[in-house]
Amino acid sequence: MGIGTQIVLQDAVNGLLLGGVYAAVAVGFSLVWGVLNVVNLAHGALVMLGAYATYWFAASGHLDPLATLPVVGYALFLFGYGLQRFVINRVIGTSFLVTFLLTFGLQLLITNLALAWWTADVRSVTTAYSGWALTVGAVVVPAVRLVGAGAAVLMAAALAAIMRWTQFGMAVQATALDREAARLMGIPVARIYARTFALAAATAGMAGGLISLSFPIFPAMGTGYTLVAFVVCVLGGLGSVAGAVVGGFLLGLAQTFASAWVGPNYNNIVAFSALILMLVVRPAGLFGRAGHFRG
Amino acid sequence: MMLLEARSVTKLFGCLRAVDAVDLTLAAGEVVGLIGPNGAGKSTLVNLISGLERPTSGTLVFAGHPLQGEGPAARARQGIARTFQVPQSFGTMRVRQNVAVAALFRGQPAASVPLALREADEVLEFVGLTAKADAVAETLTTPDLRRLELAKALALRPRLLLLDEVMAGLTPAEVNGLIAVVRDVGARGVGVLVIEHVLRAVMGLCSRIVVLHHGQKIADGARAEVVANPAVIQAYLGVPYGAAA
Amino acid sequence: MAEPTAGTSLTRAAEGLIAIVLVLLLAFIPLVASTYLIRILTGIFLFVALASAWNLIGGYAGYADFGPTAFLGIGAYTTGILMTQAHMPFPLALAAGGLCAMGAAAGIGAVLLRLRGHYFAIASLGFMLVMEQVAANLEITGGGSGMNLPVARGFTPFYYWMLTLALAAIGTGALVPRLRAGYALGAIRGNQEAAQVVGVRPLPYKVLAYVGSALFFALAGGVYAYWFTFIDPPTVFDPDFGIQAIVMVLFGGAGTVLGPAGGAIVLKSLDILLTNTSGLLHNVFFGGLICVLVLFAPRGLVELLRAGRRHLPDRRRLQRSGAG
Repeated sequence: MGIGTQIVLQDAVNGLLLGGVYAAVAVGFSLVWGVLNVVNLAHGALVMLGAYATYWFAASGHLDPLATLPVVGYALFLFGYGLQRFVINRVIGTSFLVTFLLTFGLQLLITNLALAWWTADVRSVTTAYSGWALTVGAVVVPAVRLVGAGAAVLMAAALAAIMRWTQFGMAVQATALDREAARLMGIPVARIYARTFALAAATAGMAGGLISLSFPIFPAMGTGYTLVAFVVCVLGGLGSVAGAVVGGFLLGLAQTFASAWVGPNYNNIVAFSALILMLVVRPAGLFGRAGHFRG
Repeated sequence: MMLLEARSVTKLFGCLRAVDAVDLTLAAGEVVGLIGPNGAGKSTLVNLISGLERPTSGTLVFAGHPLQGEGPAARARQGIARTFQVPQSFGTMRVRQNVAVAALFRGQPAASVPLALREADEVLEFVGLTAKADAVAETLTTPDLRRLELAKALALRPRLLLLDEVMAGLTPAEVNGLIAVVRDVGARGVGVLVIEHVLRAVMGLCSRIVVLHHGQKIADGARAEVVANPAVIQAYLGVPYGAAA
Repeated sequence: MAEPTAGTSLTRAAEGLIAIVLVLLLAFIPLVASTYLIRILTGIFLFVALASAWNLIGGYAGYADFGPTAFLGIGAYTTGILMTQAHMPFPLALAAGGLCAMGAAAGIGAVLLRLRGHYFAIASLGFMLVMEQVAANLEITGGGSGMNLPVARGFTPFYYWMLTLALAAIGTGALVPRLRAGYALGAIRGNQEAAQVVGVRPLPYKVLAYVGSALFFALAGGVYAYWFTFIDPPTVFDPDFGIQAIVMVLFGGAGTVLGPAGGAIVLKSLDILLTNTSGLLHNVFFGGLICVLVLFAPRGLVELLRAGRRHLPDRRRLQRSGAG
């Protein structure tokens, strides 16, 4: 195996590992967009909250991030439920600018309150296995990144299973297809919306927990992840878990290769170019079907 | 030469044939009624002629020139005006300004904004909306919004006018007023296609009537002839599907 | 956009007189006021200009541009580069910055403004992040370590520059609704399909509004750069400029002539008083304000006051007729 091939392989692996995390960030965003028709600009802030929760468990309780993941997810579930029920629900079904601005305001509030409480210091989580790495041939796979990406894909699969096989998932899909028809069928739409948003917040929180394993944590980290989620949804198509996962991998690969070949500081340029290209060439995304959520 | 000619125009939405191989002609100054039950494809046909949708197959010829790549704005400038079934006003602008937009952007536009506004006032008087000229459009009632739709279309100085249910929801007296307006427009040499649910309006206005059903043209002829057509009666009275086709 | 088409000539004259007196007063302030007050006012003018400029695309055209700061940055960097590398006098460098931003807006706008609401909003935000990264990666901009501009003699000129910009932006906002282009934009904002069927081609007019808005952001950026003498990517591509402008427009009333300026004056004053220029409090203030505004007065305070006087308008209808 030549050195060139090795580098390409290493980049591909890195890209897939990054893409797994992106997929975890994007599934919840896609769910909320597809079902509630809300582009939740506070999604990244929820990721940030999840990362901090994980950090505090690890820093003060010496608890492993993976072990605290369900707790973090549940906490964000409750937070998301309240947020939807009492704030966002008030503007459901109005013009996009209204929901867009509201979630932007929420993002600004959450981020800056976090800044006030936790300062702008960049933090990171260190686990017992933080230094470990698998070596397959010449390709090095850091344990934390492998664990992060693996857990992310598992989480996405669990979400897909919930959407496809539970009564709740069916109700969500029905509501996404036609809110009024769902209401007439006796589906409590407001509760479905709140639970959907809560579930998305839980996935965002857990994504934050996984991110804390191998990426820096700081209050303003959310904005970048919101943009990532948006690009991933456009790439993979709105409204499907599979689309979010594939879109996540695509963006992860594109950014990793671009950073290897062009330079390390071009991630936004790559993401934005991919976004524009996709919007112009194939607005529905690779797997998209508008206004619909599939498991 | 015909003002408008549709040759075997078809529009598919997925596997639904919204408009199915429809042939249609309309001469300048002719006022033709287009009727049909809900979902017959009337509005889709109007969208195809005004350029908001592209036909899947078939051709449309306007004043001898085939309509192909032109978008809706270009067609409006050539003289194809339409109203929307659900009135679409420019909500934040005043009624007079709404109408002036059309005067400013038609094929031979008004030379200046003040001239366009003056012209708008004339059109508003013609459709009986002078009292509301200074109102912000989004405060209008539905009947007034329908009048505004008509005024905008007329301010384009159209050669072809497509009226998509402008009479719905009006009182009989208002319907009579609008019938007089449309008849007047036709008398000035404008070709008018009147899409209506209100049969009385169509009967009072159009000597020729075209009937669509499930996207297909099932009748096209003089008023009395079409009304007596068994297929039309079946389509309207809802006799089982197979029999109507 | 609902410009009164027939105002009596008496009220017109009175309005004109008030405007002239106000402008003269503002022009004389630096002769008597403290440096502190002059600086505060300059900052307010900056946001009057930005809010009135954002109103062109966000209010008149109804297209929510979330990345107008991209053009502020382009203007700041062009001005800075031309002054330091080409030793151009400030006014020339500033004008070049404005031209650059207009060109960029025309190019990117021709692509982005084809997109529907959500997509345009995020894509415009993305464009800003890209420009920030471009500035951080280039050599001519000084990269991440930023660049120093020549130090100006005295502060008062900046007061006049910003005042001029603010007045020009307000003037443009007052002029547009009377122009053919203003009628096109009003129609596009109302309903794009309905605009098309009366002969309006949407894209050129949307691009025009975007370019106009970009011009003022760039000029403001150029003045800002010379005023602060040091710029780096996070400062001049700070999304906060755009966000504040958006909130000010919404607060004052999108699509109105004076609303954005009023919103900028009220909010910037409150911001200075309440947050004492602490960046953190400032953001919490604006974040909270956005939520309250959107939930309770989606069409701005002006509309709320007007509605209170007449009758309460149907909330749903008002919101739906917003952008998108």
